[in-house]
Amino acid sequence: MRTERGRRPRFLLFGGGALLVAAVRWLLGHVTAVEVRGGSMAPGLLPGDWLFAERLSYVFRAPHVGEVVVAADPRERERDLVKRVTAVEAGLVTVHGDHPEASTDSREFGPIPTSLVRGRVWLRYWPPSRMGIVGRRRPASSPGGEG
Amino acid sequence: MFSIRNPLRPRRVVHAHCDVPCGVYDPEQARIEAESCLRIIEKYHASEDPLFRARCIHVKEERAELAKQHLDVLWHDYFKPEHLDRFPNLHETFWNAAKQASKVKHTVDRAEAQRLLELIDEVDRFWIESGGPEKTRVAGRPGARAQAAATA
Repeated sequence: MRTERGRRPRFLLFGGGALLVAAVRWLLGHVTAVEVRGGSMAPGLLPGDWLFAERLSYVFRAPHVGEVVVAADPRERERDLVKRVTAVEAGLVTVHGDHPEASTDSREFGPIPTSLVRGRVWLRYWPPSRMGIVGRRRPASSPGGEG
Repeated sequence: MFSIRNPLRPRRVVHAHCDVPCGVYDPEQARIEAESCLRIIEKYHASEDPLFRARCIHVKEERAELAKQHLDVLWHDYFKPEHLDRFPNLHETFWNAAKQASKVKHTVDRAEAQRLLELIDEVDRFWIESGGPEKTRVAGRPGARAQAAATA
């Protein structure tokens, strides 16, 4: 008798737990940790920085100017770049490094299709001394400036 | 040797890159190869030894190819579209310089090697005016070049 009564709540518990696990896994599936190589995003992002990028925002909307994104290199698509969005037009984003002298970006390969944008960088979690939100900001100067 | 992988360490790498991430550029590199060509041509004409002359031609072609390659790297990687506003004849100068380097590969005419040096010096002026010495070279390099840039 007692086992009969216990069955329903336990079923709910397991069902709810499974749903929760699925939801968390779904959310985590949209978050990627990445390591920065190269200095084109200095001083905000330095080589060796570890970041979290999320893909959820761009399921619902296009990238905004000033956001730091992870995007496939249009010339070699299995390789990922990290750059700042400096212009958005229908289906295309222009990306630049924050440190134009040490950056290969849209100045060279042109605007890239939005479909190549893999995620938005939102947190630098390593090194602890530089831990912080990677915010949206206007590009420092006219794209590329003097360099 | 074994190590434990840091569980926080990301598995993916994103490139905040520059094609060669060093960011060091200097037309001097091309100029040195072009100067070699000039001197080799002089030595070629000064010699009667066929073996030495053959070596001169061989080495000169190598050096001219290197000069061309260094020019290409400056053209593709250092200069950016915004420089064109400031130096409208940038593309033409590079084109001429690269063609001149090819010419120096073919010829043993000293004047052609001299012309290559002049074209590289034009490129050098663009580089200096665009802030190349401060932006691309590692600070603290001793020597005449920094002084030359300062007085240019």
